[in-house]
Amino acid sequence: MQDSAFLGMSDRLRILRQSRFGAFAPVLFALAAIWGYFGLALPLWDYLTTPEAQNLRLIFLSPRNIYNLFMQSAVIATLAVGITVVLLLGDIDLSAAATAGVCAALLGVLVLAGLPGWAACVIVIAVGAVMGAAQGMLIAYVGIPSFVVTLAGLLGFQGLMQKILPTGNLNIDDPFLRGISRILVPDMLGLAIAALIVAGMIALSLRRQHRRREAGLEQDSPIAVWGQIAMVATLLFGAVLTLNAYRSVPLLILLLVAITAALGWVTTSTPFGRSIFAVGGNAESARRVGMNVRRIRVAAFAIVGIMAAVGGIFGASRYGSVSYTAFAGGSLLLESIGAAVIGGTSLFGGRGSVWNAILGALVIGSLGNGLDLSGASAADKLMFSGAILLLAVALDAVSRPAGQGR
Amino acid sequence: MMTASTTTAGHQAPPTAPPTGAGDRAHLRVSGIHKHFGGVHALRGVDFEVARGEVMALVGDNGAGKSTLMKVLAGAHVADAGTFHLDGQQVHVGGPKDAAALGIQIVYQDLALCENLDVAANLSLGAEPVRPGFGFLPRLLRPIDDLRMEVKAKRAIDQLQVRTLKSVRAQVGGLSGGQRQAIAIARAVGADSSVVMLDEPTAALGVAQTRQVLNVVKRLRETGHAVIYISHNMRDIFEVSDRICVLRHGANVATWRTQDTTPDEIVVAMTRGLEKEVGRAG
Ligand SMILES: Nc1ncnc2c1ncn2[C@@H]1O[C@H](COP(=O)(O)OP(=O)(O)O)[C@@H](O)[C@H]1O
Ligand SMILES: [Mg+2]
Repeated sequence: MQDSAFLGMSDRLRILRQSRFGAFAPVLFALAAIWGYFGLALPLWDYLTTPEAQNLRLIFLSPRNIYNLFMQSAVIATLAVGITVVLLLGDIDLSAAATAGVCAALLGVLVLAGLPGWAACVIVIAVGAVMGAAQGMLIAYVGIPSFVVTLAGLLGFQGLMQKILPTGNLNIDDPFLRGISRILVPDMLGLAIAALIVAGMIALSLRRQHRRREAGLEQDSPIAVWGQIAMVATLLFGAVLTLNAYRSVPLLILLLVAITAALGWVTTSTPFGRSIFAVGGNAESARRVGMNVRRIRVAAFAIVGIMAAVGGIFGASRYGSVSYTAFAGGSLLLESIGAAVIGGTSLFGGRGSVWNAILGALVIGSLGNGLDLSGASAADKLMFSGAILLLAVALDAVSRPAGQGR
Repeated sequence: MMTASTTTAGHQAPPTAPPTGAGDRAHLRVSGIHKHFGGVHALRGVDFEVARGEVMALVGDNGAGKSTLMKVLAGAHVADAGTFHLDGQQVHVGGPKDAAALGIQIVYQDLALCENLDVAANLSLGAEPVRPGFGFLPRLLRPIDDLRMEVKAKRAIDQLQVRTLKSVRAQVGGLSGGQRQAIAIARAVGADSSVVMLDEPTAALGVAQTRQVLNVVKRLRETGHAVIYISHNMRDIFEVSDRICVLRHGANVATWRTQDTTPDEIVVAMTRGLEKEVGRAG
């Protein structure tokens, strides 16, 4: 049923996805479909078909479950945001989860050795950056395809993580580290931040329209401008109010949003970000206008390394432990690449956004969470995730502008 | 050689004779350019020059080295040997930025546009204007001044009178061949350029769009640009060019004043070189 809805809209989606904010549409639609299915359709079906049911049980959409969903998706989202940056170049990073594992393991060992939590974080982020940059250099300067370099990285870093953690598990009790996921932003502060962000967006849009008018440029359509602000405001306040209804906005989520905002700004609004898109769109033309394509590649891979390290820190904080299966050996890698692609970032390079990666991570997280709640097996989960991923990539291929690639 | 030296102007091969055409007022002059690609010796000591307010046609068979010479002039390839002079001053071109700084701009045969970016972004690619007041950030991380970028793009597009293009915020991937060509030309002209090179700009265009490009070329000449025009279409070449330089197998054949030659003579020089002609004449 979901599938036919997607296919019927494919033409409209192609047009939508080429507009500036229309790229959000498919992933939001997928999210709404999944939430509608697990949150409303399935409970309703249960209620109607089981005579002994007393009342409708909306477990999936309960604030408590949404809170857990956000926390479960946070590590995937962190990695996916990083992976998005190299996908924009037309490259891929298969080693991100293993890098996160190495960084998390190192983090555990460092705090165990008595280093303060913040110092361990700084070191680990630097290590992540070096691990990413080293792979980037092999790709950019030696010319090995990113798929191969990062596949080697995946294997090597998995081994490295086992070397650092011979027992395969290490508990994390450091209050600073645990605090990242335990500290809650007070209810009112959370709302205030959301209000500030929306107010800031409105002010910037108004100023922008004013400056456009002064420069004699065409105006943005008011529907697009206000629609976009309304969408962000709805998502933002919806998320904050839901999280407040259970506990509050966790510091970890706030950090993730802040980092993504910074990276989103860098990728869309600076010459460096523009060069990433240019290389992804047409590397030869980027080279000819004098961009240093190699250095851009190395920087992008350093960014994934940093995001992987941050993901490792977030994960260690949330689980209270570092284990081999939670990072390097588990499904984290495929889930994060899946999240980036489901978010609408093209595997062919040049199209996508870090914000979409967060929504993509929510899609992956919701799918797992919903299937868990409805008692599906691990096998079902894998097959569902595969189908959703395939759908996302198909959408990507279909919505490429005619004449590009092929 | 007698026949050749009386009918040609500018450089000849071998390049020992002093240039007789616009040579003394040449804006850009290169000499002795060599370029190897692995085992392929694509340019074998080419001499070339162009003056301001002049359209210099560059012709030759496929694989003659025309595109390679353009790329060397634009800094996209670095020559293995050879010298560059701009207004008589020796200059160094070691990369695209060097060439751009000297005012040398190229419209590539494949246009080299990023289809995933909009028109304005393509026009400023690699030279994005940044907002003032962010000096504490490295230049690559300062905010792009996209309004200034759009204004610049609009001006460049208006200058070329591309009426069919509705918005400079349209993605290039969705535009027609003629519109893309115009954008590529606008990119070259928009950057304060004195030398504009066009590599087969009309190869993929229809009649009306070709006319538009030819008009643009003439306008560039009127505005004092030095224009280098590569094409296979003799009619176009004889319509817009002032001089015609023929390359063959990576070396100069000769350079003619357009008014002193005929399409037949050029075609013969392209396909057989000068030797046979000279042989027959002598
Ligand atoms: N990047 C390259 N790598 C290897 N060989 C090249 C490259 N570019 C051009 N060549 C070779 O150089 C010669 C000249 O090519 P080109 O300048 O494209 O010719 P034209 O534009 O006159 O048709 C050809 O033999 C071509 O195969
Ligand atoms: Mg060519």
